[in-house]
Amino acid sequence: MDPLAPSPLDPSRLRRLQLAGVACGFTAGAWLGAAEAPTKMVVLGLSPVVISLAMVVGVFLARWSLPALLRGTSAIGADVRQAPHLVVWAILAGCLWAVANTLTIYAIKDIGLSVAFPLWNANSLLGILWGAVFFNELRGAGWSRVAAVLGGAAMMCAGATLLAVASAAQAPAGHAARGVVAALAAGALWGTMYIPYRKAYLTGMNPLAFVTFFTVGELGMMSALALADRGGAALLAELSGARDVLFWLLLGGFVWVVGDLFQQYAAKYVGISRGIPLSNTNQLWGLVWGLLVFGELRGGAGATYAQVIGGSLLMALGAALIALASATGPEHRRWQEAAAREGQRYGIDPGVVRAGLAGEGAAGPARRRTWLDWALVTGATTVFVGLALVARVPDLRLGWGWVAGLTVAMLALLGGTGGLLWRTTRFN
Amino acid sequence: MTGRWSAMLRDAQFWVPIAVLVGGIVVFVWIR
Repeated sequence: MDPLAPSPLDPSRLRRLQLAGVACGFTAGAWLGAAEAPTKMVVLGLSPVVISLAMVVGVFLARWSLPALLRGTSAIGADVRQAPHLVVWAILAGCLWAVANTLTIYAIKDIGLSVAFPLWNANSLLGILWGAVFFNELRGAGWSRVAAVLGGAAMMCAGATLLAVASAAQAPAGHAARGVVAALAAGALWGTMYIPYRKAYLTGMNPLAFVTFFTVGELGMMSALALADRGGAALLAELSGARDVLFWLLLGGFVWVVGDLFQQYAAKYVGISRGIPLSNTNQLWGLVWGLLVFGELRGGAGATYAQVIGGSLLMALGAALIALASATGPEHRRWQEAAAREGQRYGIDPGVVRAGLAGEGAAGPARRRTWLDWALVTGATTVFVGLALVARVPDLRLGWGWVAGLTVAMLALLGGTGGLLWRTTRFN
Repeated sequence: MTGRWSAMLRDAQFWVPIAVLVGGIVVFVWIR
């Protein structure tokens, strides 16, 4: 036996980590899906790029204030000092996200959601490929688990296709080839974005530290794209004219960040090959909000409802297959080998790498919140409250009972999974 | 340049996201 090889994780500890990771994947789906809801309150002629930029501003505020609140900036600083090169990876991942998100807007415009969505949803298949090739995921897992993950991801793609067909209001005419290329490129960008995620978490970085720098790339790239698309003066005029609806867009960004934080923990504890498909259940939640709260598809044809039911069942079944095929000891040892290789390559303390993968904090003094943490939280809250005060409530017929019910379900998932994650990993 | 930064530049995994990002930006420039 190699004396330098990492010692295997205790099986009961591994099961708890896998359970926490799977719960994070499902909770991520719920919150990411709900993020669309506030943006549906905005029914006016804002350009898609401006809507995306305003959401990213909300994302930026949430990504700096929530980690400051949960862990404190001093803990984030300590993480970065262990592996400063990961800041570059985080910014790179943020850039990938921003370009992908913008391309999806163009894809929907050119070929419609029903064709575009399945094309970029193939990101989960690419994530499985990168996970296996670069990070030893699914190695040593046994053929039944590999088949369950691959089959589950394929079923989810098929289900997503049915849901997208049912959701598409109309098929826009126009540049089909351009739209297909945009959707495929978005899928490639999003699937590849998980390489930096996994890289960071194998090396011991905390997800709350990673997202803080991820968002710098996200906002920087999104601003550059918006400036390139609209021009500075037109962009400012459009943002200023949309003052009374900015709150809803920023709120959408905030809800999205909560989902994304859980997605990051899913990527850390169950890997990208399982974490991405599980959080792709966001499409189901988006559909539930659309159907129950916004009355979409009301009076639709029977075939449409059949597609919705069939697509939802396929997605749920695929997600269940993946959730039940979580990593066992032999596969986890392969993850530890990949992590040890990363640690060696970048000269990182093996204790930090081992503790990160085991969901433990590296040894060190306890850190208290500083004035910077409270300033970040207060600043973000002030922006949200200020925009809420000038926000206009659109005249829309909403199913308020369902809003309350779905909000309670989301908060229950947040509390339940957040509690489980805290008890299991202390948010490490 | 310290060891970590040069290790990153020599890491083949680093260039995969860079190549995909450049490709994505090229697609964006083409379609807009």
